[in-house]
Amino acid sequence: MTVVSVEAAVEPATVKPVARKSDLARFARPMLGLLVPLVLAGGWELAVYLGFSNGRLVPPPSRIYAEFAELARSGELSRHVTATLLRVGAGFAAGTVVATVLGALAGYSTLVRRLIDPSLQGLRAVPSIAWIPLFILWLGIFETSKVALIAVGVFFPIYLGVMGAVLSVDRKIVEVGRVFRLSGPAMVRRILLPAILPAYVLALRSGLGLGWMFVIAAEFMGASEGLGYLLIDGQQLGKPAEIVAALLAFAVLGKTTDWIVALVAAPFLRWEDRFSRQGET
Amino acid sequence: MLALENLGKTYPNGVRAIEGMNFAVDPGEIVAVIGGSGCGKSTLLRAISGLDTPTQGRVLLDGETITSPHEKIGIVFQEPRLLPWLTVADNVAFGLNDLPVSRRRHRAAGALSRVGLIEKRNVWPRELSGGQAQRVAIARALVPQPEVLLLDEPFSALDAFTRVDLQDHLLDLWTDLRPMMILVTHDVDEAIALADRIIVMRSRPGRIFEEIAADLQRPRDRHSAAFDHVKARVLNALDRSLVGERVPEKAAVEHPGAGAAMWW
Repeated sequence: MTVVSVEAAVEPATVKPVARKSDLARFARPMLGLLVPLVLAGGWELAVYLGFSNGRLVPPPSRIYAEFAELARSGELSRHVTATLLRVGAGFAAGTVVATVLGALAGYSTLVRRLIDPSLQGLRAVPSIAWIPLFILWLGIFETSKVALIAVGVFFPIYLGVMGAVLSVDRKIVEVGRVFRLSGPAMVRRILLPAILPAYVLALRSGLGLGWMFVIAAEFMGASEGLGYLLIDGQQLGKPAEIVAALLAFAVLGKTTDWIVALVAAPFLRWEDRFSRQGET
Repeated sequence: MLALENLGKTYPNGVRAIEGMNFAVDPGEIVAVIGGSGCGKSTLLRAISGLDTPTQGRVLLDGETITSPHEKIGIVFQEPRLLPWLTVADNVAFGLNDLPVSRRRHRAAGALSRVGLIEKRNVWPRELSGGQAQRVAIARALVPQPEVLLLDEPFSALDAFTRVDLQDHLLDLWTDLRPMMILVTHDVDEAIALADRIIVMRSRPGRIFEEIAADLQRPRDRHSAAFDHVKARVLNALDRSLVGERVPEKAAVEHPGAGAAMWW
C-alpha cells in the first residue's frame, strides 16, 4: 500500500492554498478514491477465504502482499526495479536531451523546422515498438537497444511539446524583451525559457509516461532482469501473484517519478494562473 | 527633440499603413494622435519605438536616427504585457538589467510607490486588477527614465472610471521627469485631458489630417467651456477626416495628401 503514502505526501502541497475547510473534508476526499479498490480487494479476499474461488489465477490481496514481501526480502524486487529504473532513466535522459534541442531549434527557426519537422513527423507515424527488430539488429539484444527504444518513445512527445511551446510564445511578450533591448541569449533566458516552462514540464511528464510504457516492450524483447522480465517470468511459470506484484511496482514507480518531476517543477511554476487556483487570491 | 521626417510604412502585402508623416515633439511636450480605427496610429507608434522599421523616411531623437528599440524611448502598450512569471517588483525592474541588484530593487520600489502599488510588490501579475496591471506597466516603462514615452491606447481596455483616474495619475507621473509623450488614442476626452497638441489622422494611408493645439491650463477641468471648445474642434476635424473633405482649418497641416482615394 505504498500508493497511499505517496498520495498522502502530495495532498498537503496541492490542497494547502484552498481555504481550510473542515479536516474531515480534507481527508475524506482522497479516501473516497480508495473506496472502490478497497471494497473490491476486500470482497475478493473474502470470496477466496470463504472458498468461493481457489484464487489461483486471480490471487487475493493477501497472496499478492506475501509475494511482494518475499520479492522484497530476497532482494529480487530491488534488483528488478533497479534494472528497470536505470533503463528508463537512461532512455528518458537521452530522449529528453535530443528532443529538447531539436524541438527548440525547430520552434525557433523556420528553416530548421522546414528541414527536419516533416521527416520527424513521418518517423512519428511509425509505431515506436516497430523499431525493435531493427534496433536489435543494429544495437544487439542487450542494454543499448532497450535504452534506444525508450529514448525514441520519450522523444516524440517532448519534441512536439517543446516545438509547439516555442512556436506559441506570445509575440507581445517577446516584444517586451525587444523594447528593453535584450540580447539573443538574454531573450532566451529571460523570456522564452520561462514562457515555455509550463508546456515543457507537461511534455516531460507525458514523455516519462511513454518511457515507462516502452521499458516494458524493451524488456519483453529479452531481458534477464527488470520488471518486464518479472512479468514474463510470472506468466511462463504460472505465478499470477508475481505478475500483479510487478504491476503494482510499475504503478508505484510511474506515479512516484511523475510526482518527482512535478514536484521539482512546482517552485518554478507558482506564477501560473491556473483554473484550480481560482480561490487562492 | 523627437522628429518624424516623411515617415511612411508599407507592409509587405502592399498595404500603405502610414505615409509622409512629418511632425516634431518638443522636450516635455505631450502629443496625442487620434483617428478612426485602422488609420495607422499603432503603426506610427511602432515605427517611432523602433519595433518596426519604416519603409520611408526616418525618426530622429536628438539627431540620432531610431532604427531599433532605444534606451531613451519607453513604451506602454494597450495591454499591460507584464511577464507572468515575475513578481510585480521584478516586472518593474525588468528594464534595469545593467544595474546591481540592490539599486534595481531600490528603483523598482521607488517607482511602485510612485504608482501607489508598493504593497503589491511581491505578488504575481495575475493577482492585479486591469488598472493596477496597467499602472505597473507604466512604472516599468518609466523606471529607466526615458526621454520619450510612447503610449498605445494605454487605457482603452479599462472602465471609464479607472480610465479617468489613470489619466490623472499619468499626468502626475509625467511631472517628475517631464518626458516627451506621444499618446495614441481614439478617445477624444483623453486626448484633450492630456495633450498639448492633438494630431488628427486620416486613414488609408494614414496621414496627418490636422493639428489642433490644446493649450489649456493644467490641471484641466473636463467640464470647462474651453475644454468643450477644443473638443468640438477635434470632433469636427475627425468628422471631416472620415468624410475625406480637404478643408484644413489652419495652415498647420503640412502634408495634405490630396488625391488619395477615400474608402467610404
